[in-house]
Amino acid sequence: MYELIDVIISGVTNGSVYAMMAVGLSLVYGVTKVFNFAYGSLYTLGGYLAFTFFGCGFGYPLVILLTLVSLYLAGLLIERVIIRPLRRREDWEMLAMMVTLGLAIFLDNLYQVVYGPYVKSLPIMFSGNLQLAGFMLSIQDLVIFGIAVLVMGGFMIFLNTHRLGMAIEAVAQDMTGAQIVGIPKDRVFGFTFAISTVLAGFGGILLAPKYFITPFGGWDILVKAWVITALGGMGSVRGSLYAAFLLGIIEALIGWQFGLTWILFAWFAVLLGTLIVRPQGLFGTWG
Amino acid sequence: MIMKLTKDLKVLLLIYLILLLVPIFVHTDLYLMNILIMCLIWSVVAASWDLIMGFSGIFTFGQIAFFVIGAYSSAILTQTFDLSPWLGMPFGGVVAGLTGLLVGLPCLRLKGAYVALVTFAVHMILAPLLKSDLGRALGTGGSQGILTIKPMHFWGYSFSSMEPLPWFYTALFISLLCLLAVYRIIHSNWGLAFTAIRDAEPFAKSLGINGFKYKLVVFGITSFLTGIIGGFYAHYVGVLSTRILGLNLFLILMVMLVIGGLGRFPGAVIGAYLATFLSEWLRPMGNYRMLIFGGLVVLLVVYMPQGIAEILFPQDKPGPLERIRRRVFPKERRASLSNDS
Repeated sequence: MYELIDVIISGVTNGSVYAMMAVGLSLVYGVTKVFNFAYGSLYTLGGYLAFTFFGCGFGYPLVILLTLVSLYLAGLLIERVIIRPLRRREDWEMLAMMVTLGLAIFLDNLYQVVYGPYVKSLPIMFSGNLQLAGFMLSIQDLVIFGIAVLVMGGFMIFLNTHRLGMAIEAVAQDMTGAQIVGIPKDRVFGFTFAISTVLAGFGGILLAPKYFITPFGGWDILVKAWVITALGGMGSVRGSLYAAFLLGIIEALIGWQFGLTWILFAWFAVLLGTLIVRPQGLFGTWG
Repeated sequence: MIMKLTKDLKVLLLIYLILLLVPIFVHTDLYLMNILIMCLIWSVVAASWDLIMGFSGIFTFGQIAFFVIGAYSSAILTQTFDLSPWLGMPFGGVVAGLTGLLVGLPCLRLKGAYVALVTFAVHMILAPLLKSDLGRALGTGGSQGILTIKPMHFWGYSFSSMEPLPWFYTALFISLLCLLAVYRIIHSNWGLAFTAIRDAEPFAKSLGINGFKYKLVVFGITSFLTGIIGGFYAHYVGVLSTRILGLNLFLILMVMLVIGGLGRFPGAVIGAYLATFLSEWLRPMGNYRMLIFGGLVVLLVVYMPQGIAEILFPQDKPGPLERIRRRVFPKERRASLSNDS
């Protein structure tokens, strides 16, 4: 029984980070209609950038700040240079998937050339455990959970109250209408892509002390974030949240009972089962 | 089979005419012949992927999975039932085609990125499945793979890896059949229906085109063709493991499509030849090879999204071949101009 609760706690912690990353993927799909194949590589990019800044001898707060700023700039650059030129074409959604797939392989191999094929890791943020009603909770996990929930909460508030956030929602709902009322579409696209890059990379920093950084480690994350967004409904931020926690707990339970190799099978089984009944995902709408 | 001799078909037949004669000059070069055979194999995979992605607008990632399923089925069937590889290949195609139908069924209700996810999931799950106990029970050899696959034979003559010519002409024959099938489909009512669904699905439906049926058909046909050539690959290479399910091959196939141009039929074939040669040429570069390929995909998609097909045989304006012909036969040009007006 205690073991079960431990497993569920670990599932919820992982779920919170997955949720943060899935929200980024879902946002960029919902707003700009780009399915970003390079999302996993941007997750890895966060880890490697943080690793590089640690190499310069900075402490955690400065490293995180510098990494997030560089990720934001990288996101803006990627959107501006390789995605915006495609938008003129009719079949650009397919081209955008192909171009981000190429970018993903390019980045992964770049990491391998620059940092070598061996795993890198970040120092542990907080060590120690917390005793709570007989359960051992690692402070690291608690902090990860707290940060992920804070980032998501802050992001939701931003989307609903800030001018730019509302502009993003408007573009997601009706692109033509948003343009008529004078919302600069291109700037919103660029900003959304940059923010989703930051969310992916931040996930990379948070999970790096636990799961290490490898050049091709992003693919696992991409598939997971993808399954979560699909289960929650593409473009639905709320759906991604529920789906992430659900799948995080399923992952922990399956990994505990049957072993790690069956996690992806279980996820795909849950996803396929849901999609057969509800092709648009739990909270999705066609659009 | 009656076929209209269009520009596409002429280009395809010209390519095969050249390929028919190429071994006269290079048949002693085992390495080059091997690359040529691989070119022929990948051209079929690329063309079927183009049929489903470029012509039907279904973004699927399952092509390599079907290729591997065809390869494994043919290898296992010829092994366990002592079948001839000539029978194993079509059986491999049938198994791949049935799997394609099975994958296609849930995909048909889904849209864009969802289809990509489900087919990619098939690709991702296939390797652990082939390595698992279930796969081993079927005869996949687990993580080691299948190490001894029967070579092909013809009237008692058994093909060997030291003599590439029989392999080459068999590959030429099978790939031509598959490509002609792709061509025939593109230029049939089915092909029209596929394109109609891609360009305007609601309108196509309102004209009475059954989107469900045609999408299922295109899933089945493309995986069938891919499975056949996968079977040939298994018997040609002689060993099979789950390594071909890696990301590298995936990206190289994507390069083939991007070089060739999506939905420009013989384009994917030319793209397959170019990408296979480029991949071999870059092999000494080690890690940098995939770096270059990744960058190449990005550059090509951004700057040349129509692919090489647009340069070689543009749809609207006369291409270089046509321009040369007009320069050589100016009289005919005048005649065709007066016909137009």
